[in-house]
Amino acid sequence: MTTADKTSGNGHSGHPFYPDHLLVEGIVAVIVLLAILLVSQVWQVPLEEMASPSDTSYVPRPEWYFLFYFQLLKYFHGPLIVVGTFVLPLLLFAALVLLPFLDRKPARGVLQRPRSLTAGVLAIAAMILLTVVAYQEDDSMKLPPVTDQQVAAGKDIFYRFCILCHKMDGQGGFMAPDLTHIGSRSGRTYMERVIINPKIVSPSSIMSIVPLSDAERHEVSAYLSRKK
Amino acid sequence: MGRIYAFLDDRLNLEPLVRAIADHPVPDHANPLKTPKALMYCFGGIAFMLILLQIVTGMFLMLYYVPSPDHAYASVTYIQDEVMFGSLVRAVHRVGASAAIVMVFLHMMRVYFTGAYKKPRELNWIAGIFLLVIVIGFGFSGYLLPWDQKAYWATTVGINLVATVPLVGDFLANVLRGGSEVGALTLVRFFVIHVMFLPALLLVFLAAHFFMIRRQGISQPL
Repeated sequence: MTTADKTSGNGHSGHPFYPDHLLVEGIVAVIVLLAILLVSQVWQVPLEEMASPSDTSYVPRPEWYFLFYFQLLKYFHGPLIVVGTFVLPLLLFAALVLLPFLDRKPARGVLQRPRSLTAGVLAIAAMILLTVVAYQEDDSMKLPPVTDQQVAAGKDIFYRFCILCHKMDGQGGFMAPDLTHIGSRSGRTYMERVIINPKIVSPSSIMSIVPLSDAERHEVSAYLSRKK
Repeated sequence: MGRIYAFLDDRLNLEPLVRAIADHPVPDHANPLKTPKALMYCFGGIAFMLILLQIVTGMFLMLYYVPSPDHAYASVTYIQDEVMFGSLVRAVHRVGASAAIVMVFLHMMRVYFTGAYKKPRELNWIAGIFLLVIVIGFGFSGYLLPWDQKAYWATTVGINLVATVPLVGDFLANVLRGGSEVGALTLVRFFVIHVMFLPALLLVFLAAHFFMIRRQGISQPL
């Protein structure tokens, strides 16, 4: 059935696809499925307020796997945006489609293919770097840097209001999630957005809106970001 | 089990078909029991499994989802708060989408770094590139459907980027929007693209992908 050629592993020693290999694949599949179920249970899927086409002040963020691309687009200003939205994607697509015809040497190991290795590693590094920068810029957006003074003031506010429902270091209310390690889970921008509008976490959130000034809110998020 | 198979085989002559699909040896270098490195040969299979998961969870979400600006958001909150296992199914669909993107990317990296795209597998590599584009299309079209603020404005930005493409950009953007602004037609279009057009394309390219891997076998060890 197979046109097993000299580049194919088929026909050499091996184990049957059915049932041996299918069993192994099945086990791996079950592990991945369980991991997805676990994350789905723990993670609250975001659902913000209903779309409001007149609210043009909203600054949207794309899904995480598009972040590197949107970060890249930030570096192309004005008419140059075409480079980011058209030229580069087209070049990348063409390069990928043509790759097997451009790179025709039979050598397959990465170490025998220094150019392919460099290109691949650079591309992955760029994607990771752009994603990290995007997250950092999101997180530092309009927020003053954290000072010890702010943290102390934020702690004060926290123990006056938030502690009524939230737990912190073993004390506090039980109506709302424990925030003892919130700093290692959430970024400041996200915390601030939740404080402004708790319903971004979930439309059914019962958290009340505490009327804080911008400065007070920055203090609370500064304090919480230190709670790792 | 054996008797049912015998019954069916007797009438439908399944033997050659089953042989073609399942009766081939898998080489040791792709067997995770022999060498842990072989796990990287699982990425493609897991990506496929995740695609099946997306199809199943998507079908269940469609039972309640309404693609209209007046009802989309309410139908999602209904799924989230009222439907039995609704929030779980929605979460799995969302997490599964991210996982599928990751697996497709890892699979592509495996093929790239082991040089498995080389002759005679050029065409299968190209089919894979199209599958990557299709999977990204699923991500983009699905993002609008909950019709919350993020969905609406992220899609507005996305379509505005499409509009910057020279010559055809404006035309494409208008086709995607169904007008000059993101609205009712956009939502229906994105929904139908997400649940009809892209799945149809996906199945065609997946079939080609699997046909070619079956004809050519898994690439030899390095």
